[in-house]
Amino acid sequence: MPVLLIGALPQPITEAPLVILIYGVLVLMLASALASVLLRNTLYAIGAFAATMVLVALLYLALAPFLLFAVQLLVFTTVSAALLLSLLRQTSGLASTQDRFSREWIVGAAVAAALLALLVVVVASTSWPLGPTTNAGAGFGATLTNTYVVGLAVLAVILASSALGSGLLLAAPTLPSTRGGGTTRPASPRGGRSARRR
Amino acid sequence: MSVGLAVILVASAALFAVGAFALVARRSAVLMLLGTQFMFTAGGVAFVAFARFGLGATHATAGAAVTMFAGATAVAELAVGLSIAALIYREHRSFSVDTDRG
Repeated sequence: MPVLLIGALPQPITEAPLVILIYGVLVLMLASALASVLLRNTLYAIGAFAATMVLVALLYLALAPFLLFAVQLLVFTTVSAALLLSLLRQTSGLASTQDRFSREWIVGAAVAAALLALLVVVVASTSWPLGPTTNAGAGFGATLTNTYVVGLAVLAVILASSALGSGLLLAAPTLPSTRGGGTTRPASPRGGRSARRR
Repeated sequence: MSVGLAVILVASAALFAVGAFALVARRSAVLMLLGTQFMFTAGGVAFVAFARFGLGATHATAGAAVTMFAGATAVAELAVGLSIAALIYREHRSFSVDTDRG
């Protein structure tokens, strides 16, 4: 039985300002993601990561319902950056101890290049199915609370349990190791008690 | 010049590759977690692109909904992963995940 087409088939975006915006966002997003991975200072890497998340939110603003943009910007970006920065406040491990261009970097670059080549070949050689488009933003909230209400509930449980679990992990004392590590509190970067007994 | 499905998917693939690079090449637990975040985000971008340019009305809001679920799952994973990274730091005074290898 043929499916009735209601609405127009999706077309590429051709408006010049929007096209320039999307290309600019994509280039900046990849550049900041690369910077986040390559920078040796963890604080700068977290800054580049937050910039990447903001640029992804801008991409969602151009392509997806506004609610997704708002959630990406206000929840995911903020929570991720806050979690990372709070970890760095507890510790002082800002500088990387890894050598630049070590053997792992060559292996990582090879794996990343192979994955990228595979995905590009799949994208280029596949004829993706098309369907008629409607206003995607109109029923997003209703879709979340009706069609995906079970997923939303499961997600709430996952988020709550991860928050509880991470809090318990951070609060729990570590077991003394054979190397003499283990403490109930992280050492102060300004010369507090060392975690490793020498 | 136009923006279609292929452009967004290639950018998504590049972001996924950057995340995979971080996961394989970096020893710092924090940077490895950032790599997994990039891989989650790349999946979300692909879902949004398919919802916008692919099977539109059939799954008009499904792409955005799945992207939201993926993002929230990524944040939950980050929370637990950072807690584990904090424990690694307390034990070894470093975020390096292969300290024992010397």
